Amino acid sequence: MTPGTTQGGTPGNSHGITRRTLLGAALSGGLITPLLAGCGALVPASSGAGTLSVHTQISGAVAGAQTFADVVAAYQRDTARRVALLKNGSDLPIVFETSTLAGKEADVAVVNMMGRTLSWTRLGATVPVNDHLDEWGLRDLIIPEALAEWTDDEGRLRAFPFTRTNWPVSFNTALLEEAGVGAIPTTSDELVAAADALRSHGIGPVTVGGSDWSGQKLFLQVIQGFISQDEARTVFSTGKISESAGAVKGVEHFVELRDAGVFVDNVQGYTSDSELTQFNTRKAAVVPAMSSALALVPAERAAEVTVGGWPVPSSGGVLERPSVIQSYNGHGIWISENGARKLDLVRPFVQHLYSAEVTDRFILESGRDMSRVTDTVSQDFPLVAQASRLTTDQVTPVMLPDLLIPDAVFEPMIQATALAYGTAPADRIIDAFEKSYQAV
Amino acid sequence: MAQRTALPLRDRIGSITSGTLAWIYAALLVVPFYYFIVSAFKTNEEIFESPLALPTTFDLTNVTTAIRQADLGLAVANSVLTTVAALVLTLLLALPAAFALARSTGRAGKVVEGVFALGFLIPSFAALFPTFLLAAALGLFHTRTFVVFLLPATALPLSIVILTSFMRTIPRELEEAASMDGASPLQVLRQVYLPICVPGIATVLLLNFLSFWNAYLYPLILIGPDTAQRTIQVALPTLKVDAGTDYGVLMAGTLFTLLPVYLVYTLLQRQMQRALLSGAVKG
Repeated sequence: MTPGTTQGGTPGNSHGITRRTLLGAALSGGLITPLLAGCGALVPASSGAGTLSVHTQISGAVAGAQTFADVVAAYQRDTARRVALLKNGSDLPIVFETSTLAGKEADVAVVNMMGRTLSWTRLGATVPVNDHLDEWGLRDLIIPEALAEWTDDEGRLRAFPFTRTNWPVSFNTALLEEAGVGAIPTTSDELVAAADALRSHGIGPVTVGGSDWSGQKLFLQVIQGFISQDEARTVFSTGKISESAGAVKGVEHFVELRDAGVFVDNVQGYTSDSELTQFNTRKAAVVPAMSSALALVPAERAAEVTVGGWPVPSSGGVLERPSVIQSYNGHGIWISENGARKLDLVRPFVQHLYSAEVTDRFILESGRDMSRVTDTVSQDFPLVAQASRLTTDQVTPVMLPDLLIPDAVFEPMIQATALAYGTAPADRIIDAFEKSYQAV
Repeated sequence: MAQRTALPLRDRIGSITSGTLAWIYAALLVVPFYYFIVSAFKTNEEIFESPLALPTTFDLTNVTTAIRQADLGLAVANSVLTTVAALVLTLLLALPAAFALARSTGRAGKVVEGVFALGFLIPSFAALFPTFLLAAALGLFHTRTFVVFLLPATALPLSIVILTSFMRTIPRELEEAASMDGASPLQVLRQVYLPICVPGIATVLLLNFLSFWNAYLYPLILIGPDTAQRTIQVALPTLKVDAGTDYGVLMAGTLFTLLPVYLVYTLLQRQMQRALLSGAVKG
């Protein structure tokens, strides 16, 4: 007999866990499981008949998540209608797609238009919403440019555009002044001079996520300084930089800026998170960041920041004023096949989301830019407000090329643009960029 | 006082070298763990400015924010539910199977054991799509129930291998004596094998607990995004955003999800060490 046990299975003491404990634990588990399953909060929210299921990316730590949850809770309270909120972050598209295969997708998805979601309407995973735009009285409420951006080549409105984004450049004027720079740079020569001055005072110049999509966006923005928007559409959809003299010039200009020390040291390793932290901790004076990120800049830092655009090339460029990426490609409200069978539930919910009261809450409580026509400007998010007040007298809007870049190219292209933030010469960057399109 | 026997020079050098390496290895584990814990009480600025400094305060704001933003309370309850149910089911299936295999002497037993071992050859990612189709066909897609059945299936090969090799170390005479006293095979399992196999069972519980608790892809696809059902590993990534992730909150949320793991490991680790020392678990 093994020490610690006696004949008949009487448990001994030498083992930390006895047979009785183990069996007790197993039994407890068996008892707890159905008890827990009976808890109301753990009953599937989307299981009830007459429930509208809403699968949203505006959840977790995303700006506006709490507002969205509160809006939905108030809607349920006021209308006695049931809404099941299903939440995912960046993994929402794959979850939605597998749910669609099983016919169990949510009735409504609130997600941005990028990568996988670009093909949803074409493949029938979601239905075009053109007809509902007028029937539900939403056409006049939504900014026309937003509707245009969310309409595909065949005229199908993929979803109702809900949030949008500005992508300005934030300048910490206090740091610029410390370095003896009196005004924010508006040309590339001024930018290089400002970077020199900042570096000589131990302050980092421009910070950006060289290793991720934020660096990719700035790289493509710099190229747009040398080509028309039509040409940009061709270049970004085909990847043929070498066939566009302007685009080649854009890459060479980027390399000149990089080699002149415009970017902070080791920028190739930074991400969208670390760029913002560098800016917030005064390690860098300039950051290009989208408006939802600007909402996260603390008040004390925001007080010393002026929002503008990326400086125009001092020679050879096509833009009159500093550029700002403007896009209506934020979150959209998509209706699935399941949702199309429940339009009586979808319609009042969508109409409610576009009420002035709700969109104002998003602007005021969470600093979101909305695709609804509104005069409301963010109060507690000064940088978001500054960005939304920028006019074409101050900046030139350029495109967010996400809609043109094929899904399979996205990641390889980020590797190519990360190369641009290292030491690679222009021809090698162009080669890597064009090769990234071979994934299509 | 007894005199200490001096170790030969070679042994002393070996002892010092192995001790030094052990401390370096411990430091390699401790430093990131320390960074992880202190970051849970810091702001982003503090994390990036002075990564290894102690936090200025140990208040739990980040933890409460993480729990609120990602509905971690519900997610933990769901993870407990699926993990405990799957563990119970795994043991209910693996123990009799291992008992039978350990006692079998014929060729059939070896074949069956080989079939179980084949389970190791199936990459879990490759099984995702067929599993999804099965869940949909059974009407169990987007339910915890399917995952509760699925997880034991993935764990059975390893569980059976461990428990079978553990049970093989039990002298057959014990079983024969019990049988002579009139014990049925089930009684032999319960009253002879189970008490002796506690370290092996604890090992299986611990390994499977870690695997079930940390499962991400299958719960993500099969249970889905409903906050009333989703598990902790599916809820946690919602704390990461495209730009401006609050790493203090993310670390605090991760720490919160690790507490049950720490608790279970503390409870079962001695048993697992015993199983390792007894040679039932190798490699």
